[in-house]
Amino acid sequence: MEVAAAVAPTVRRWLGQCRPLGCEAGLRGTRPLPAGGVSLRLCSTRVTLEGINKPLIERIIRVDHAGEYGANRIYAGQMAVLGRSSVGPIIRQMWNQEKDHLKKFNELMVAYRVRPTVLLPFWNVAGFVLGAGSALLGKKGAMACTVAVEESISDHYNSQIRALMEDPEKYKDLLQLIKQFRDDEREHHDIGLEHDAEAAPAYSVLKIAIQLGCKAAIFLSERI
Amino acid sequence: LRCQLSPPQRALRTSAVLRRVSEEQKEPLASSSQQQFDSHPTDPRPEQEPQGPRPSYTGQGGQESEDYESEEQLQHRILTAALEFVPEHGWTAEAIAEGAKTLGLSVAAAGMFHSDGSELVLHFVSQCNTKLSELLEQEQKQVQLGEAEKKPTEQFLRDAVEARLRMLIPYIEKWPQALSILLLPHNIPASLNLLTSMIDDIWHYAGDQSTDFNWYTRRAVLTGVYNTTELVMMQDSSPDFEDTWRFLENRVADAVNMGNTANQVQSTGEAVVQGLMGAAVTVSN
Repeated sequence: MEVAAAVAPTVRRWLGQCRPLGCEAGLRGTRPLPAGGVSLRLCSTRVTLEGINKPLIERIIRVDHAGEYGANRIYAGQMAVLGRSSVGPIIRQMWNQEKDHLKKFNELMVAYRVRPTVLLPFWNVAGFVLGAGSALLGKKGAMACTVAVEESISDHYNSQIRALMEDPEKYKDLLQLIKQFRDDEREHHDIGLEHDAEAAPAYSVLKIAIQLGCKAAIFLSERI
Repeated sequence: LRCQLSPPQRALRTSAVLRRVSEEQKEPLASSSQQQFDSHPTDPRPEQEPQGPRPSYTGQGGQESEDYESEEQLQHRILTAALEFVPEHGWTAEAIAEGAKTLGLSVAAAGMFHSDGSELVLHFVSQCNTKLSELLEQEQKQVQLGEAEKKPTEQFLRDAVEARLRMLIPYIEKWPQALSILLLPHNIPASLNLLTSMIDDIWHYAGDQSTDFNWYTRRAVLTGVYNTTELVMMQDSSPDFEDTWRFLENRVADAVNMGNTANQVQSTGEAVVQGLMGAAVTVSN
């Protein structure tokens, strides 16, 4: 009995991610997404799943989640190298915004019951390596990486917005969220440019290489 | 004996069967409905109910009634009716033919399906999964209304798997045959789909909210638990399958332990790394 009592806290920690499912009417189709305001309360763990293009939404959420996860790791890598330099605070601020984005997509993933991409452990490492690697090229290198990645992500969000605009009413909340995130990423892109990204060594080569990598990552994460 | 039909041929054959059945039904139907008219002039048109063996797609006089059922619904009804003959005939076309007979259709209706009983097994599995989802949804509602206590995850998983496996008990004799049918190459996509969605459902109702690789490990582990327990169940002869449930309990406990151990390894690893970093800093100073 004592053993069980001793084991119980650790059991609860492992199973800690199993939080009680939604409160109130967190049942299938009975609770619409909160209108206005972009934040999704964890309460509404179930959204209306009828009438939406499930495969499309699944892809969108999976790839966006992977993207924000990767961006999170890229900034972590950059902070590891440049955290104490003059651009440290700026990178940290952008990193915090990405963390927020990731949190929102985590919520969406649970609400729409979408599976994450299998490649997450890979993006974990690859993102950190990219961030740290670009930071080792100097502050401008880090900014160049930011510019390249954020440009890729903004384009990608734009094409998703175009896809969802086929039926703006049905996807109102998701559209609002993605538009806001697209604007945030655009802002990061501009911050990168302001901090002399273009003066980085081999800027155009670096940019093309990183954007190719991003395209490949997006392609894979949508499917796998 | 029956050759594999391509989809358009199958559709043609289906419509031929339906037409033949409606021909067979038309004559007695016309006369009996005539009698019905005389005795119950205010009777509503026969609805699509499984009370009599009268299929609804023929109304009086052989006209198609408004509640014409789709081919899919008809197949659904035939397969459901066929289930009661599975203990006797196994998961075969014979069972389907018997099922069709109880609905008043010709045994040729079994020609709509594969000759190896695939659809019957898939239909049954799909039905069981739906029943499980409804059961779990009910339980969740009860917890939300405060009528029931939220179960700890280990017990929830155990109960869900047990509930699902208990649905096999009426067919347990012939279940090995069903499993072999599900493993046929042309059935694997469908059966894999059914299995994964069932496991996903169980974890969802258990409250899993993981969005990282845990999502995959948890489902993989539960799939392993489910499959092994199913195999144990098939050769279990204890009263009410107690051995199986005890096996299930042990496996779920193992799975939980595995998760704990993984966590412990991770935190130990982190602690070791921190220790080393501290040592390196000390040495460098």
